[in-house]
Amino acid sequence: MELLRKYLSRFIEFGEDEFVGISQFLEVRHFNAKDQLTKIGEVDQYLNFIFKGVIRRYFISGKEEIVSHFTKEGDLICSPVSFFSQSKSFYIIEAIEDSTVVSISRDNLEKMFSSSNRFERLGRLVIIEWLVQQCEWENARVRLSPKERFLYFVKKQPQLVKRVPQKQLASFLSIKPETFSRYKHFITATDNLEIQ
Amino acid sequence: MSLQKEHIIYFERLKAFFNNYMNMPGAEFDVLVPFFEVRSFDKKAQIVKMGEVDNYFNIIAKGLVRKYTLAGKKEVTLQLATEGHAIHSEVSFNRRVPSDVIVETIEPSVFLSLTYDNLQAIYNSFPRTERLGRLVTIDMYLKKDLRDYSHFRQNSRERFLNYIQNHQEMVQRVPQKYLASYLHIKPETFSRLKHLVKNKKS
Repeated sequence: MELLRKYLSRFIEFGEDEFVGISQFLEVRHFNAKDQLTKIGEVDQYLNFIFKGVIRRYFISGKEEIVSHFTKEGDLICSPVSFFSQSKSFYIIEAIEDSTVVSISRDNLEKMFSSSNRFERLGRLVIIEWLVQQCEWENARVRLSPKERFLYFVKKQPQLVKRVPQKQLASFLSIKPETFSRYKHFITATDNLEIQ
Repeated sequence: MSLQKEHIIYFERLKAFFNNYMNMPGAEFDVLVPFFEVRSFDKKAQIVKMGEVDNYFNIIAKGLVRKYTLAGKKEVTLQLATEGHAIHSEVSFNRRVPSDVIVETIEPSVFLSLTYDNLQAIYNSFPRTERLGRLVTIDMYLKKDLRDYSHFRQNSRERFLNYIQNHQEMVQRVPQKYLASYLHIKPETFSRLKHLVKNKKS
């Protein structure tokens, strides 16, 4: 739970009691690699904080899987529109590695918010962080060339580069597989090179 | 119309904006009013420039505004917003860093604006606004997620038809090149689609 506490403490200061207060709303769930946490057409019931593992969010276009998000331990993932507006998910959420998550249901999240304005603030700050990250990535996608996008990701998520299949990473970065293979040497280069 | 009457209308719009998210009695709304600035701009005014730290969260009381960035020399429209919607440079405002987007009016516009400090003061003084802030932000986040999804999932034609169905008024008000850019449709494809729809109607 220390990892979760560390994450939440980025947004507001937490007393020991307060953190214990949150724990009653949470459940721990385990998934094997390739297990789906949320399927297309299902209403996503959980917001998940990853303790261990890597999880991706993607959708299907024709026969192609298009990855919209990778998350590893220490961060949150859900199917946002589905979870927050309780509609059918157009994303699939799927474990890449064997993963352990701590999850809060939509109902419990509402209960938590209603129990204290401090949790409302926490919720506000977390969602602002999501929005900001989403806008940063939107901007990077628009402004950067494929190679720059690749290097941007390597710099921001050096660990993930090695933990997600390259085909999925190429999809996330909207880089054609044949172009992507030309960048592969950058991945090995990250072992001994600080990328600017 | 007198300036005062106009202002009353603007703040009614603001109240309606808040009430989309949560029920806010008049007295609760009234205490927030003094924190807002009424700001008026001509058309084509740059509200936020590239490289500048955005200090305002704006709700549009009147007018039409776009947010865009530059990919090389090409302008890429990221948001089109009209009365009753919020606009700002999300990254710059929240992280207090130089903006990598430009916010610019298309029509003469009036904003009801909160400085970063005033917004924090509101959250600190009126705890119920934490919920309002959370709900407004979630809404912005989900809209972006839906837009991303439709960009990848739908073809130009579907994006075009979907947009004009839901935003008829915008098609009248927004210059075609901005709409085309916003929808990721080439200008020539955009005008072809527009003609197609016109011919169908007649």
